[in-house]
Parts: sequence; structure tokens; C-alpha cells
Amino acid sequence: MSALDTKFATVEVVRRGLKDVGYIATTQIAHTVYLAYHLGKPVLVEGPAGVGKTELAKAAAVFMGVPLIRLQCYEGLDESKALYEWKYGKQLLYTQLLKDKLDRVIEGETGLAESIEKLHQYDDIFFSPQFLEPRPLLKALQEKDGAVLLVDEVDKSDDEFEAFLLEILSDFQVSIPEIGTIEATSKPFVFLTSNSTRELGEALRRRCLHLYISFPEQALEREIVMTRVPGISERLTRQLVSFIHQVRKLDIKKLPSVSETIDWAKTLVILHAETLDKDMVRDTLNTFLKAQEDIRVTEEKLYALTEHALREAN
Amino acid sequence: MDRILQNFITALRRSGVRISVAETMDALRAAELSGYGDRLLLKDFLSASLAKSMPEKEIFEVCFSRFFALDYITGEDFLLENEGLPPTLQGEAPLTQIFMSGDVGGLAMALRSAGERADIRSIQSWTQKGLFMQRLFQELGLEGLNRDIRTLAEIGGQDAVNQVKALESMRDNLMERVRNLVERQLELYAAQRQYELSEGYIRNARLSALDERDLARIHKIIQRMVKHLKDRYSRRAKAARRGHLDFRKTFRKSITYGGLPFDTHWKSKKIDRPEIVVICDVSRSVSNIVRFFLLILYSLNEVISRIRSFVFCTNLVDVSPLFETHPLPEALAMLRSGTGIPILLGRTDYGGSLLDFRNQYSDCLTKKATVIILGDARNNYAEPHTEVLRMISERCKRLIWLNPETPSLWGSGDSEMKKYLPYCSIARECSTLRQLERVVEYLLRVHNR
Repeated sequence: MSALDTKFATVEVVRRGLKDVGYIATTQIAHTVYLAYHLGKPVLVEGPAGVGKTELAKAAAVFMGVPLIRLQCYEGLDESKALYEWKYGKQLLYTQLLKDKLDRVIEGETGLAESIEKLHQYDDIFFSPQFLEPRPLLKALQEKDGAVLLVDEVDKSDDEFEAFLLEILSDFQVSIPEIGTIEATSKPFVFLTSNSTRELGEALRRRCLHLYISFPEQALEREIVMTRVPGISERLTRQLVSFIHQVRKLDIKKLPSVSETIDWAKTLVILHAETLDKDMVRDTLNTFLKAQEDIRVTEEKLYALTEHALREAN
Repeated sequence: MDRILQNFITALRRSGVRISVAETMDALRAAELSGYGDRLLLKDFLSASLAKSMPEKEIFEVCFSRFFALDYITGEDFLLENEGLPPTLQGEAPLTQIFMSGDVGGLAMALRSAGERADIRSIQSWTQKGLFMQRLFQELGLEGLNRDIRTLAEIGGQDAVNQVKALESMRDNLMERVRNLVERQLELYAAQRQYELSEGYIRNARLSALDERDLARIHKIIQRMVKHLKDRYSRRAKAARRGHLDFRKTFRKSITYGGLPFDTHWKSKKIDRPEIVVICDVSRSVSNIVRFFLLILYSLNEVISRIRSFVFCTNLVDVSPLFETHPLPEALAMLRSGTGIPILLGRTDYGGSLLDFRNQYSDCLTKKATVIILGDARNNYAEPHTEVLRMISERCKRLIWLNPETPSLWGSGDSEMKKYLPYCSIARECSTLRQLERVVEYLLRVHNR
């Protein structure tokens, strides 16, 4: 049993391991991560922005003790930026610098055909791994001890790139015409995240396990805040989490994410807050609300929200 | 293969979750890992490997709870206490024996194997409920039980009367159970089979015969169709975009650096972006079919970036911005009622609309554009203005006419189709989804050339 297998021995071990590196996982998350490891399958993580999708991949990398390789997707991302590229400049430079050497190699050959014949013996030098610039996907395959590959916001990439990902996700190999097929030395653990700005293809979904992370329950979010913000009192945590949960029910443009809850908690701790009060909330609203319109809507109901949060926390 | 899982996947499929063979294999391995002991673990595992989107997850939740509830045909509350009932008579029927001995597990087994024998999974509609209940009773041997009850009643005596009462109430209870079982099986396997049935049906049915209620489903099918077709043909465009090293240019530039090619230059091919102009008739003569035309228009708008959409009746208006800013149902309602857009829904006027198009929007006619006209060409005997269509045809790459009528009707009555025909690159009948699919396929194929 390898070291990794011990880390994935049971669901509980996985959950505790993730907790040790600062990620509070729900049972569902722990179950899916455990399953993904044992099936060797990529995980497609969906959910609203800021619920910790990317964080999960980072935590998994720390937990497994392997490097995290991240590929941020965007429109127009293509193979040469995601997989590999030839170092064309270097190739050309070398051919120029080695001109004399090449002259010497073909010295003595009389005809053109013979010279080329001779050169052919060295043919693949310029298309060898030394001239290959590995991009994230190739890098992830080449990591000897495995890696966590995070394909972030895959919905932002084009359909074509999505199709291209399929080969890597199902076989963990890529083909480079000049070199051949490169197989993963050890399979990377792949996370794909999506905010559903675009409907992903069936084919991609089929190849992945699917995990939907929604905003955490109050109890869980409290636990997250307590772990991530040392020195915060339990009472304040209760109040602020209750407040945030009410805000999420409001009709606003951008719901406050978990990371913003944490930011707010940190702010309150720095301000030495013992308990929520209206003025302090008003002054710090901008830590978790990022649109003027949202702030206005929330401010209107500030009194009721704060009162409710205080009541609920007791 | 694991039977329970197989049945579960069948149930999921019938509910509209698309599950591939590979996913089935994943689920199988997942179930091996989890076992059937821990319900929550099993659920999360299967959910991760089978349900791959939010709507599917919702269906999964319902299916899972229904399906695995079926497994619990235990009968703790089922068998009445038969203490104090001296076995005055040993029943002959197996069911009587089970009742008399209070064998809960035996009953569950009997019920399940009766279900298997009655092939209850093949139930298709609620009209078959009675039939399947009868079959189940027969397989369970209810007849034998009834006979035993009658025999007992004939014997008489207090003990026998008590026993008859107990057996009767157990029998009624069992019948209730069977009814529930059949109903749940119906929910699980059949209510959703309609889904399966109708997808094939919808694809082949005439669009005018389809119901407004199916709109959402049809939209889904169309979306999938368009996306599928687009996926199939878009990879070529991708290959073209990736540039190769432009050796000539690089070497030319290298002269500046004394022959050292520091500065690399790249060839990049131009991508032939689809440019589509759709002109759609929304008049009353095609009202049955127009919503599907609009659906297709809307779906195409979602996947093809450069598309201009026009609708016309008496006059012609540009609706491309409408599709971009409004969700589908709203956009459709607006188009059909004419609210918010300057369209006159009077007499259909093909000629006038073509003139409108020429006068206002002829800028979108380029050598790369494909013009699609959706309509029946029924012009109420007005001037057809074929010369405008000819102008359009000459100035675009190709002109496609999709007509909901069959070709034999073209040119009959006030149809001007025959006059328009010479200027169309292609004219097709388009009255079912399948025909439509072919046209879209053609469209995307030629576009990526």
C-alpha cells in the first residue's frame, strides 16, 4: 500500500485529512473525492461562485503532498498554451549556431541526396524534449509522483478546447506528432471547475464524476470560519454567519461567497468586534458586497437583518 | 452485472437521465467500493458517477429515494400478532403458512419473487395497474389463501373465527401493499417511459401537430441537436486557427539580426466564421409551425455567433437584439403577439417584406453569408418581387428556403414557391424535427468548409 493509498483508506480519513489542511468538507465532498481517487476519474465541480471549488483542489494537493498545477481557462485558450509548444526560437537559434557543425557533418558528401541522407541520421535532434516547452497539461502528466491538475473555469473555454480535453481526461495521455505518445508517469488527480456560464458538453460530463457544491449550511460555514479565522469568538461567528445567510436570501446581484464571509470575519476580528452592531456592519458591508446596488439594498434592511442575526445567535 | 444497480440505472434512464455504458461501469465500481450497507455513501457515490448536471441530480434524488424505498418491503407493521391463536388448522397454501408462522422475511421474499415472475418492470401505463395487481395476486397465491379462509370459516368455533379475522385483515393489508407496490413501480418505470417514447415520436411528428406543452422539451431536443451538430463540425475551424511558423517571414526579419532568427513570425489562417441571415415568416398561415421555426432560430442564435434574424408578416423587422436580451419564452411571446417590436401582423406580404429587406438590411448580404428563409411562400396573390430574391441570391453565398409544405403543394393556390424556386440554392420541405436536423447539419457542414 502506497503512502497515498493510506491517505485515501476510508472516507473519514479523507475528510479529516482535508480538515487538517484547512478545508472543511461536507460528507458529499469527502465521498466524491474518495471515489474519484479510487476510480482514477476526474471530478467536475460545479456550483455558485465562491463556494470553495478551486479551494478544494488546492486543499487536495496539500493533503496528498503533490504539486498543484493549474490551468486557468479563458476564451481562445488553445493547445499551444495548454499542452505544449515547440521552442521555435531556440530551434532556429541552434540551427544557426550549429551551422559550422552541420557543415562539418556533411563535409565530404558530394551530392545533395547524400548530404540529406547524412543529416537524416540526426533528424530528430531538433524535435526532442529539450526543445519542448511543456504547458500545464503536459506538465501534469510528466510529474513523477503525481499531481493535482486543476482545470479552472472550464466553462470559459471554447467548445473546441473542451473536446480537446477529452483525450487527456479519459486516457491520461497526449500525442505529440514529432515525439510520439506521452503517457502519464502517474495519473494526476484532476479537478475541473465550472460556474455554468456555458452548458458543458455531454462527452466531458460523461468522463468525469460530478460534484455540486452549494452554499454551506450555517453549522458548516461556522466551522469553516472558526478554522480559517483563528481567535474569533463563537458568538460572533454565529452572528455573522447568520447575517450572511440572510443576505444570501436577498435579491441581490452577487451573493456573498464563503471566502467573503471569511474576509468579513477577519475584518471584524481586526476591529476587535465582540458582537455585531449596525454601525460596524454598515462600515464593513463592502468586504462581502461588491456592487453599489447590492450594498444599497442591504443597507435598507440593515436593522432588521442585524436584529435577526443577534436573536438567532442566542 | 449487479442486478439491483442495473434496475436502478434503467429507472434513471427512463426518467430522462442520460447514462452511457462507461458511466454504468463507473457506477458499478463505485457500488463495489461502497457496498449497499451505507445508504448515504452509496447515494453520493452513485450521484457522482451517474447524475452529471443539476437537473439530473434532482431527478436522481427522486429516483434514488423511490427505488431504494422499494427494497424495504419488510413487514414489521404488516403481520398481525398471532399469539394466542392456536394452530387449529395448518393452512395448505404457502401464503397461509407464511401468515401463520409470522415469517416477515418470507413474505418480503414471496412478494419480490412474485414481482419478478409477474414481470412488473414492464408496466407501461396506469391503465395496466389492475392487470398487474391481478398477476401479482395470482403469483402470490392469493387464491389458496382465500380457500383456506373459507375452509376455516366452515369449521366454526371461536378459535377458527379469530383466525379467520386475523387472516382476513392480513390479506387486506397485503392487498393494500400490492397496490402500493404496483403504483410505485409504475412511478419508477413507467411514468417516465413516456419520456422515452415521445422523444422518438417528437422527432418524427409533423411540427404542426405538436403541442405547446411540449415546447420546453422540444427546445431541449433542438438545443441538443444544434449543439451536437456544432460540436461535430467546429473542430476543423479549430485546426485552422492554430498558426504555424512562417519561415519566410521569420528569415526575412532575421536579416536585421545578422541572420539570427530572434523574432519569430506566425502564420494564421483566417477562420470562416459562420454568417447566417435568417428570415422567418410569422404569419397566420404558418402559425402552427412558426414557434418551432422561432425555437430553431433562437437555438442557432445561442451557438452561432454571427447570425442576423428577421421576422416578417406584412413588413419585416430585425429581431436579433431581441434574442440576445430576452429569455426564450418571453422572446417567443413577444414575437407571436407583436408587442414591443414594430411588426404588422396583417396580410402576409412576401414581396413587400423582401423589399424591406433589400432597402434596410442589404448590408448583411456578403459573399460569406448564408440566407435562410423559413416560410410557405403563400403571398395572398400579391406581387412576389422575385427580382429582389434574385438580387439576394446573387449577393450571398447561398440561399436556402425551408418550406413547411410538401413539395407537391408548392405553387398551388397563392403559393409563389415555384416562382421563387429558381433563385434558391436549395429548397427543402421542413416539417419534422428530423428534416430540420438534416438541414442544420448541411448548414454547418458547408460552413466549415
